[in-house]
Amino acid sequence: MKYLLPALLGLLLFAGCATPPVSYYYGNYSQALYRSKKYNTPASLEKYRHSLEEIIRTSEKKGLRVPPGIYCEYAYLLAKDGSPEADRYSSLEVKTYPESERFVSFIRAQIKNSSSS
Amino acid sequence: MKRPIAVFLIVLVASLLVSGCATTHMATKGDKFPLMYKEKPLVIFVLPPINSTTAVDAKEYYSTAIPQPLAFAGFYVIPMQITDELLKSQGIYDTETIVNQPLNRFYEYFGADAVLFTRIIKWDKSYTVIASSLTVTIDAQLKSTKSNLILWKYSGTIVANLSGQSNSGNPLANLIANVIITGINTATADYVPYAQLATVQLLQSVPFGKYHNRSGQDSQDKIIVQK
Repeated sequence: MKYLLPALLGLLLFAGCATPPVSYYYGNYSQALYRSKKYNTPASLEKYRHSLEEIIRTSEKKGLRVPPGIYCEYAYLLAKDGSPEADRYSSLEVKTYPESERFVSFIRAQIKNSSSS
Repeated sequence: MKRPIAVFLIVLVASLLVSGCATTHMATKGDKFPLMYKEKPLVIFVLPPINSTTAVDAKEYYSTAIPQPLAFAGFYVIPMQITDELLKSQGIYDTETIVNQPLNRFYEYFGADAVLFTRIIKWDKSYTVIASSLTVTIDAQLKSTKSNLILWKYSGTIVANLSGQSNSGNPLANLIANVIITGINTATADYVPYAQLATVQLLQSVPFGKYHNRSGQDSQDKIIVQK
């Protein structure tokens, strides 16, 4: 315990002058994702979807870049529901992260295949 | 709101005081992982962890805890939620089967520059009234999809701790603190935040990716290497 106080003070000093190196807003994403995986119930999946929507909304409001993969995950959910909005969100992923293009194209092709078969 | 903040601070401090019991020495990122600076991987495909423990929930806890800290380290992480489903649809349930395969297809299909393999060797959680902690032993490797070489690796034990009783300082305090500030914001008995903290510590030696503001400038950064 004797190290706790100095450490805390040291930490506060650091915290005072440092700016976060990368700024992303994740809300309660990992929690929601974990629960949707673990319980796989409509309610937990709905919460996971909400967490994605909330990340997008809040990031855009705060002027932050939406974290890697979030637009894409949201697009994937929409596509599974047959929503016409899916393409808009997967395009946003590529626009935000050009390096995701190959992956996003792959996913689009997969979705097309599965819906046409 | 006061109490969650206090708890958060304690988690933060405790997390910065780990690695007390392991034999360690210092090295620089550039000396230790020169290939990271040569290949500059950006797009990372995270495979599901290989679980060598008897804790059945370790795999899911750990897999949901990987992408976020990796993104904070500056990388583009291909969404695991989707890739897990893809792998299953291809009949790949076990990362073990891919370990020694050439990885070029991960680039061809998904544009991944590197693939992250993780193996959970130990997963001990304790949750009591006065203290809770998660002790994780992880083996992690980041392998290039172009050269198949190991770009970065980590092997060691991490204690994500709420009790504040660890006893060794960690010079990378500010770095880690910055990364996890946004990472942990839910007060809960779930182990997701602990697992995330473990990933943050796991990643402290990784040379930053493109989206980190010190990308390419951290080769002289000192890292702690566990024996």
